[in-house]
Amino acid sequence: MTESGFVIIDGNELTCEEGETILQAARRAEIEIPTLCHDDRLTPAGACRICLVEIEGSNLMQPACATRVSPGMVVRTVTPRVDRNRQFILSLHLADTIQDRNLAEDNSPSRLHDLAERYGTSGQWTPVSSPRQGRPSDDNPYNQFRPDRCIACSLCTRYCDQVEAVSAITLAFKGARTTISTADERPLTDTTCELCGGCIDVCPTGAMTEKAALAWGKPERELEKVRTTCNFCGVGCQLDLNVDRSANRVVKVTSPPSGTTVNDGNLCVKGRFANDFIHHSDRLQEPLIRNEAGELVPATWDEALERVSEGLLGVAEEHGSDALAFISSSRCTGEENYLMQKLARAGFRTHNVHQCAAT
Amino acid sequence: MTNSIPEIREADFLFVIGSNTTEAHPIIAMEMKRAVQRGARLAVADPRAIWLTEIADWHLQLKPGSDVWLLNAMAHVIVTEGLENRQWLEANTENFDAVRETVLRYSPEEAETVTGVPAQAIREVARAYASTEKAGIYYTLGITEHTCGTDNVYALSNLVLMTGHLGLRSSGLNPLRGQNNVQGANDSGASPVFYPGYQRAADPEVREKFGAAWGVEQSDTTGLNLNEMMKAMGDGRLRGLYLMGEDIVISEPNVGRVEKALNELDFVVVQDIFFNESCRFADVVLPAACFAEKDGVFTNSDRRVQLVNRAVEAPGQARPDWEILLDVMKRVGLKQPEYSGPSEIYSEMASLAPKFAGISHRRIGREGGLQWPVTSEDDSSTEYLHKDGVLRGKGLFQPVEYSPPFEETDPEYPLILSTGRTLYHYNAATQTRRSEGLTTKQPEAFVEIHPSNARKLGVQDGQLVDVVSRRGRVRCRAMISRQVRRQAIWMPFHFPEARTNYLTTDAGDKVTGTGEYKVCAARIETVDQAAATQASFPGSYAAAVEG
Ligand code: SF4
Ligand code: SF4
Ligand code: FES
Repeated sequence: MTESGFVIIDGNELTCEEGETILQAARRAEIEIPTLCHDDRLTPAGACRICLVEIEGSNLMQPACATRVSPGMVVRTVTPRVDRNRQFILSLHLADTIQDRNLAEDNSPSRLHDLAERYGTSGQWTPVSSPRQGRPSDDNPYNQFRPDRCIACSLCTRYCDQVEAVSAITLAFKGARTTISTADERPLTDTTCELCGGCIDVCPTGAMTEKAALAWGKPERELEKVRTTCNFCGVGCQLDLNVDRSANRVVKVTSPPSGTTVNDGNLCVKGRFANDFIHHSDRLQEPLIRNEAGELVPATWDEALERVSEGLLGVAEEHGSDALAFISSSRCTGEENYLMQKLARAGFRTHNVHQCAAT
Repeated sequence: MTNSIPEIREADFLFVIGSNTTEAHPIIAMEMKRAVQRGARLAVADPRAIWLTEIADWHLQLKPGSDVWLLNAMAHVIVTEGLENRQWLEANTENFDAVRETVLRYSPEEAETVTGVPAQAIREVARAYASTEKAGIYYTLGITEHTCGTDNVYALSNLVLMTGHLGLRSSGLNPLRGQNNVQGANDSGASPVFYPGYQRAADPEVREKFGAAWGVEQSDTTGLNLNEMMKAMGDGRLRGLYLMGEDIVISEPNVGRVEKALNELDFVVVQDIFFNESCRFADVVLPAACFAEKDGVFTNSDRRVQLVNRAVEAPGQARPDWEILLDVMKRVGLKQPEYSGPSEIYSEMASLAPKFAGISHRRIGREGGLQWPVTSEDDSSTEYLHKDGVLRGKGLFQPVEYSPPFEETDPEYPLILSTGRTLYHYNAATQTRRSEGLTTKQPEAFVEIHPSNARKLGVQDGQLVDVVSRRGRVRCRAMISRQVRRQAIWMPFHFPEARTNYLTTDAGDKVTGTGEYKVCAARIETVDQAAATQASFPGSYAAAVEG
């Protein structure tokens, strides 16, 4: 089965497994190697070159994300040459995108800028005027592609190919003109795209970004993330609700990192985007009771609860408890379902309690 | 699910039946795609050419409602070719011979005439399933929403038991739950037959225990399930209804009858986040908080209890359902402990249900989601069930015979109508339809019709048509599609203005009462396109109620 051997990374002797990359071995030992175009869920592209490391016996540096370890390999990740390369690569990519962090961030996190802050750059670079193009008329509701921020790392297209497996987007054109497009430059909603938003999630520069969050305008680091469980299907994806506290508002929904929860960093269109309902003006905001004229009119909680208890007790007195039915909900929490059946069984001594279990 | 979601990617054979996974459970579908990319073989049994069939090795396009025939024929292949796992089934199961005898009467050739699936394909899939170690079965409502839903599940579990695909990683029997907390609602005892933790209400000792804990003697009258409730509302046995977080006027089958019955009730409370369709029948409407505005737990398909955390304040005077329920309990005279919040409510439940005894909000916060059973503080999360042999002694084989759907086609209603959900909407769509993006992608109701049928009827793609069953009539757009079989039509049930459930039958499964949403007889009528403008679109249900 799996053969294992040893590698030496920065002087640490590590066991490694056959087929493993330098990056994987290093991560297990908590040795940090920066990456831009890498994602654990995807096959390596070796496109961005930020992860280059030195390997003894080889003149060229090699990408840690795409190079497999071999037993006895000696790797160095902290050398002046490695550092110089990181700064050089970061400058190169920055010159190819928006350089000003504040501009670049408007609500889209940018790993590129984070890394530039962390590892530094090699001085000022004149921006390349990149001729990348967006799609002429893409009126899809969720995804804004801003070509001037793209570094053609292909994370988005690989995600769409390999994880969502619908291949709705693709790299188009060559060289500095390389851009992300669709077949015949059609709007996303006319393609096989399922609006999962995964491409937005993996983009390291904010070139793929969420329209609604963009319009909200606060940088992501000013939002508070609240971890919770999705309220749609039975997969139980973990979500991070990105909340603007001062406005009491869920601005967008992101996934916890891959490898940490049951959804492995992925979400579907409902979990990621169908959150408008939370702050919708149609939400019920006050109790209603039916008046003499047969209309539902606003009431206080006290009045409404009184009506509820009178109504339920009235039926129980006149027709017996088994004339009452309690329908609970798979949309509510476990605790709420517990209380509903307790209300039926202990409050009214009936087992007439159920929920729409099948749908 | 007997297995865990992350195990799917390691499977070598997947049998997906009655589940449009990419639409209803996209994240599980991603795991399936991953398995296939790794080289796993995939067999999909579904009347429609759903997306997964594009990457499947086999598509068994069976006639709706003929699942038992297909599954018994697969079992037939296994037992006649000696592919059963003798050693395992002798050690772990009972009653194999009864099933063996039954399935011997279900030959693949005959199955072909009933189900429309080639005998050869049935053979191949049965062989591949039986001979692959990591082989899992995945199903959803396409299996359960039939009058023979329970039989379908037995037929599946017979396959699992005879091949010993249980108690192993990536192999087992996996129902994918449709709603976020179906599992959790059942776990919590929102069921006439179970107290929390699947303790039987029919068992006097169980009733004794809960009676003592709650200080109220428990009733020994059997409760009604949802399907029976709907009927009891109609015949006067039920007089009052407390409805929380469900829109039965959209979601229940044969809804015309449900509406009539709701009108007859003396008292109806509806508690929800929106003014849903059922609110029209309410005496009191209580505004509830949504999931982003409260704390608690949801339990997903793989029995994973996970936290729901409050992120924002509820609008206006809306309050979390648990707070409202506690208030109601107090008002009707049921004294309640002063819970500090949902975590204490959970602890009370865990103290009464051994399966959850080791689960608490604190522990989930520390360790992440926990998969029950977790029987004590020291017990760990259970990734897959039946690891140490079948639970509760031996796995029991249950022979099942095919029984036709409640309603069969006839010259007047020649088409089989099935219903389901789509990727972009969710149930009654009260939430998803308020998302602009989802509505642009899929703005309105439609009915899928096979091109050959459409040609016969003279129906164009996108034209308005009436779908008619013995119970109602619904107007919506025709979508010409090869996804459906020739004699079948398919509709989503999310749209209040074209309520599919005016058409469906409320004939329920004999055990669970689950409605037969997947099969009813219907016909398509063309309508005068000039008169049938968008404006007449919403009006279809009034007529149905009268009729
Ligand atoms: S949203 Fe999902 S399906 Fe659509 S292009 Fe992005 S990754 Fe592909
Ligand atoms: S849009 Fe983002 S993820 Fe896609 S290639 Fe450009 S920078 Fe990479
Ligand atoms: S992360 Fe290795 S080349 Fe981009």
